[in-house]
Amino acid sequence: MDEDQFDEVIRDLPESFNAPPPPPLDEMWGVIEDAHFNLPQSTSISRGSFFSTPWLAAATLLVGIGIGALIPRAKAPATVQPPVAQAVPVQDTSAVADVYRDQTHQYLGQAAALLISLPAKDGSKTADSAFANKAADLLVTTRLLIDSPAASRDVKLRSLLEDLELVLVQIARLRNERSRSDLDLIHQAVEQGDVLSRLNSAVATTQSSE
Amino acid sequence: MNEAQLIARVIQGDRLAGRALYDMHAPRVFSLAYRLSGDPEKAREFTQDAFIRAFSRLSQFRGEAAFSTWLHRIVVTVVSNARRNELRFGREVALDEAQSIETSAAEAEPDLKESIERAVNNLSEAYRTTLILHDVEGYTHAEIAVMLGVPEGTCKSRLSVARAQLREALAAFKE
Repeated sequence: MDEDQFDEVIRDLPESFNAPPPPPLDEMWGVIEDAHFNLPQSTSISRGSFFSTPWLAAATLLVGIGIGALIPRAKAPATVQPPVAQAVPVQDTSAVADVYRDQTHQYLGQAAALLISLPAKDGSKTADSAFANKAADLLVTTRLLIDSPAASRDVKLRSLLEDLELVLVQIARLRNERSRSDLDLIHQAVEQGDVLSRLNSAVATTQSSE
Repeated sequence: MNEAQLIARVIQGDRLAGRALYDMHAPRVFSLAYRLSGDPEKAREFTQDAFIRAFSRLSQFRGEAAFSTWLHRIVVTVVSNARRNELRFGREVALDEAQSIETSAAEAEPDLKESIERAVNNLSEAYRTTLILHDVEGYTHAEIAVMLGVPEGTCKSRLSVARAQLREALAAFKE
């Protein structure tokens, strides 16, 4: 084959290489519609697989324990000291807010450190396992914070936490199954969600409010 | 209603807007998925997966690139990950299938179309994807750079290498 023939081959590629059949538009839409619009808006497909695992039970339990541990501190004084019931909740609300703020700041710092130090392509299994374990630890805190008053008052923080949750789930899975494509997916998720820059911004915000 | 308005409506959960946005892009997405996979069933799955992912991440679309480029990047990622997994698990070409290919190749000389398909599919993933995106689907280097997350220069050099390897693979072909 000479140069001219090869140029012709390249020119004809759109017609000759894997010419697509008509797309089954309605059939595909049915699946997409079921998966996206028939689920609650805040529930994505990938998160669905997370919630279908024992992670849900563990995370939910810890959320309950975490909230339970915080709420009595806010309300107990009001029942113990009825005469100052009006003043105390204000102080306690502030104290609880401080707890959340400190926890959020600490958590965001740890999440940023984890994502920054994530191997670019190839890491050892030991390193992956360490990352996965750390991600699993952070996941519990993530769920706790997503359900906390701190996130309910701050839409940006909540959105960041939800994106972080998805990324952390992916990292935590490296413990069981690891491939270069898994790491690529994680990096793409971080990149597409602009997670790191939002994370750095959130760290700076929580730091400055201290 | 323009595309930006449709996107905003889909984020709010409007399924009619979702269908409208889907109708605007699905034919091209399916075409791309088919070109990259060569299998109608896989192309259907990849298209579905890409739209489900895109809709769930729509609030993250910041409009820096065209929506179609952002969406097609997701398609390329979905297909690439699936192909890597297939290759990793060795499912793509089963041993008996490979043997039958060898047998048929020995029995009859493949025509040009088959030779081109085989040569393109034998390229490494990065070269193959770049060649298909540029020479088959007609994307510009700038669009491919966004889709693959690499510099434009890398796309150009990948295309150059891909064409060189394709030319070499087809050199012996006589019509």
